Amino acid sequence: MAVAATTPVLEIAALARDIVGPDWVITDGAQLRVYECDGLKNQREIPGAVILPGSTDQVAAVVRLCHERGVPFVARGAGSGLSGGAMPTAAGVVIGLSRLRQVLDLDVPNQRVRVQPGVTNLHVSEVAAPHGLYYAPDPSSQQVCTIGGNIAENAGGAHCLKYGFTTNHVLAATVVLSDGRVVEFGGEAPDAPGLDLLGVLIGSEGTIAVVTEALLNLLPRPQHVETLVAMFPSSETAGAAVSAIIAEGIVPAAVEMMDRLAIDAAKTQTPITWDTEAALIVELDGPLIEVQSQFEAVTAICERCGADAVRVAATPEERMEIWRARKSAFAAVGALAPAYLVQDGVIPRTRLPEVLNAIRDLADANGVRVANVFHAGDGNLHPLVLYDNKVEGEQDRAERVAIRIVELCVEFGGSITGEHGVGVEKVCSMPKMFSGDDLTAFARVRAAFDPDGLCNPDKLLPTPRLCGEVPGFHHTHAVEAAGLGERM
Amino acid sequence: MAGLAEILGADRLSEEHDTPVVTPRDQAEVAELLTAATRDGLALTIRGGGTKRNWRAAPARCDAILSTAALAGIVDHQPGDMTLVVRGGTPLVDAQAAVTGAAGHRQRLMLEPVGGPAATLGGILSTRAAGPLRHRYGTPRDIVIGARYVTGDGLAAKTGGTVVKNVAGYDVAKLLIGAHGSLGVITEIAVKLHPVPDVERMLVLRSTDSAAVARFVLALSTAPVTPTLVEVHWPDGVVAVRIASTAAGADAQIALLRGLAPLDEVDAAAGEALLANQLALPFAGTGSVFGVGVRPTDLAPLLDAVALVGGTFAGRAALVAGDVLLPDEDPDRSSRLIAAVRGLGGTVQARRGADAHRLAAAAHAPGIAELEAAMREQLDPAGVLA
Repeated sequence: MAVAATTPVLEIAALARDIVGPDWVITDGAQLRVYECDGLKNQREIPGAVILPGSTDQVAAVVRLCHERGVPFVARGAGSGLSGGAMPTAAGVVIGLSRLRQVLDLDVPNQRVRVQPGVTNLHVSEVAAPHGLYYAPDPSSQQVCTIGGNIAENAGGAHCLKYGFTTNHVLAATVVLSDGRVVEFGGEAPDAPGLDLLGVLIGSEGTIAVVTEALLNLLPRPQHVETLVAMFPSSETAGAAVSAIIAEGIVPAAVEMMDRLAIDAAKTQTPITWDTEAALIVELDGPLIEVQSQFEAVTAICERCGADAVRVAATPEERMEIWRARKSAFAAVGALAPAYLVQDGVIPRTRLPEVLNAIRDLADANGVRVANVFHAGDGNLHPLVLYDNKVEGEQDRAERVAIRIVELCVEFGGSITGEHGVGVEKVCSMPKMFSGDDLTAFARVRAAFDPDGLCNPDKLLPTPRLCGEVPGFHHTHAVEAAGLGERM
Repeated sequence: MAGLAEILGADRLSEEHDTPVVTPRDQAEVAELLTAATRDGLALTIRGGGTKRNWRAAPARCDAILSTAALAGIVDHQPGDMTLVVRGGTPLVDAQAAVTGAAGHRQRLMLEPVGGPAATLGGILSTRAAGPLRHRYGTPRDIVIGARYVTGDGLAAKTGGTVVKNVAGYDVAKLLIGAHGSLGVITEIAVKLHPVPDVERMLVLRSTDSAAVARFVLALSTAPVTPTLVEVHWPDGVVAVRIASTAAGADAQIALLRGLAPLDEVDAAAGEALLANQLALPFAGTGSVFGVGVRPTDLAPLLDAVALVGGTFAGRAALVAGDVLLPDEDPDRSSRLIAAVRGLGGTVQARRGADAHRLAAAAHAPGIAELEAAMREQLDPAGVLA
């Protein structure tokens, strides 16, 4: 739904031209349309204005303009997020951070780098590479996604099983608060005193502040890497192999699984010749001798658990091919169906066979196909729901299946999102996972940072306006009951 | 305190040095207590094992102590998923025993009982206490995957979940960790577990040359070794590195470490005793104690500064973070240490000693104090836990 830019937004745009320069303010309808959505394509909104600041001070000045007029704003990196976290608000401003893409300070002895938020994830590792260092979080979109977005979403990736998520690799961040104040969370030295505000910033989906600089921890590149792909007759046997590997005390760098449909999709894009119900990709990294001895054990476990074949990447090129097949699966699914939805849910790893069966039943009952790609080591599923958007009602059915899948994840003791975030996509699923009191506490945390609700509103937390009257959501807080406060 | 007794029953109320102690049994009872305390304007102090009481400044007022002693026990252990859910008042050593004792599984909980066997998970989280293992496994913030808690005004809530990967909602657990109980009471904690390696080998070295120690640690941080801990005890100059790997992997890494720097090797058997000492340092002696942290490249100047003020450092050599024990509570000596650490751009936290909290009180970065006050206003509006 397009809404004409309101007067305060146009006023902000006019004033912002003096702050960021006239070339970096967009109010033209056609150009605004570029920003109407992020990677979640089925939710769109034309912003009132897009402003592209070139420094922390300029971001702060623009946010102050918004704050003074009570105009909401949404920070945006590459717009590659998959939950609509960077979707604009109609009467609001998009603050695009694409001009802030400088690597400010590479500190090799201390193994860290300070960057602006528009630097891409992969570029951080490229900058560090000549010094034998890299940045561990590696979301599939790492060629385009930015550090600012990674911090907003607490991005993970295939290797977070061993190395953790963005939250484990950010040492400090300079942020602009919703009233335009600039503050620094965390610090160069460990154990910054006081509350861990950095910890709550990471994964807050842009709802509490705009990150304008980040200090990232780098790791030495592992001495040795081994990768195999094991072909299993079923997802169940592949899942059993994952459990056996981990029970052996081995922590692989990555454990990924693809089912037949996902493999078929990948075949349309890459030269792989896998012919199996479930392919398990296992990667080990670390000191040479350790990796070699553990890799032998992993190979034996896969064979013992019923793998029909185990293929070891003999060269870096073969390893790249395996990873290309895995990382291409999302987009490649587009070759199998006119349209598809990417889902993201988490289950306890041991419940994998039950959940896969339930997903299969659900897909069959609704007449859609579901391809499964997942981070099997940590139970993070990425079911891809295939549908034909030209068949009436099929998109609705696909969306229902996608939502039902994450609800299943919660019923099995998991989460509605492992790495894509809540955004707008899952905001109405939050009450499946959290009680009214849980959500009230979240809302209060948000209010401590952004009392006026201007920073990326309508994301992450459900409201009756967005989701209808959700049972259990509108819980009277003690402060309200006592007549001391009311909900705005 | 009649109100508190009415809520939980008289058997849950006792007295200690004229201060009432209430002992709720579950999250709902904690919520009732904090709702009542908010209504009645009471100030409560949360107590777990009581081992790190000095780690925060004494509260201005304490009308009652809220003990987590009855909030103990394992809620759920899923060995296949390597997750554990425990109640907040559970002593860490009990939780660890439950995990390592699970038949047929080789896994462990890599938090450390800073403060001794009485230390509870809730207390370890609240004080963000960590020891040598943080080199590999991180601090509580890296191990906790979810929590149930009660805000200062009695809202019973949960954050995170019980799966190892999850980004739904704000990571409120991060806020509770290190908040010294000022935002809420942690009633239940979900953590991830780690596998037990095939073997663990220790290399113990000795050098009283801070520059040589620093060179060794810096070389180690880029070498193909993946230690679980890198400890230094100073000024006696003991450096301990532990490798967890396969047998062949550990041998190879230990051999490589020996070649990194010309430090004297000490009998590795001394290593385990050293580690126990490292954890015990903040509770040893009688002098003031401060937690300190500096950048990796500032290890040598930190060690020199500690020696200069007559202190003892026990800490993580590569990160760099640890504790400094001073020989007495002389405020001048404390001030000199604090100034030296801050001069390196480091952090200081008071652990013990006369005036330690006042001396170490940091001038917060601009804007941070206001945000912290806003957070307390949101989660503990009546200042019950202040």
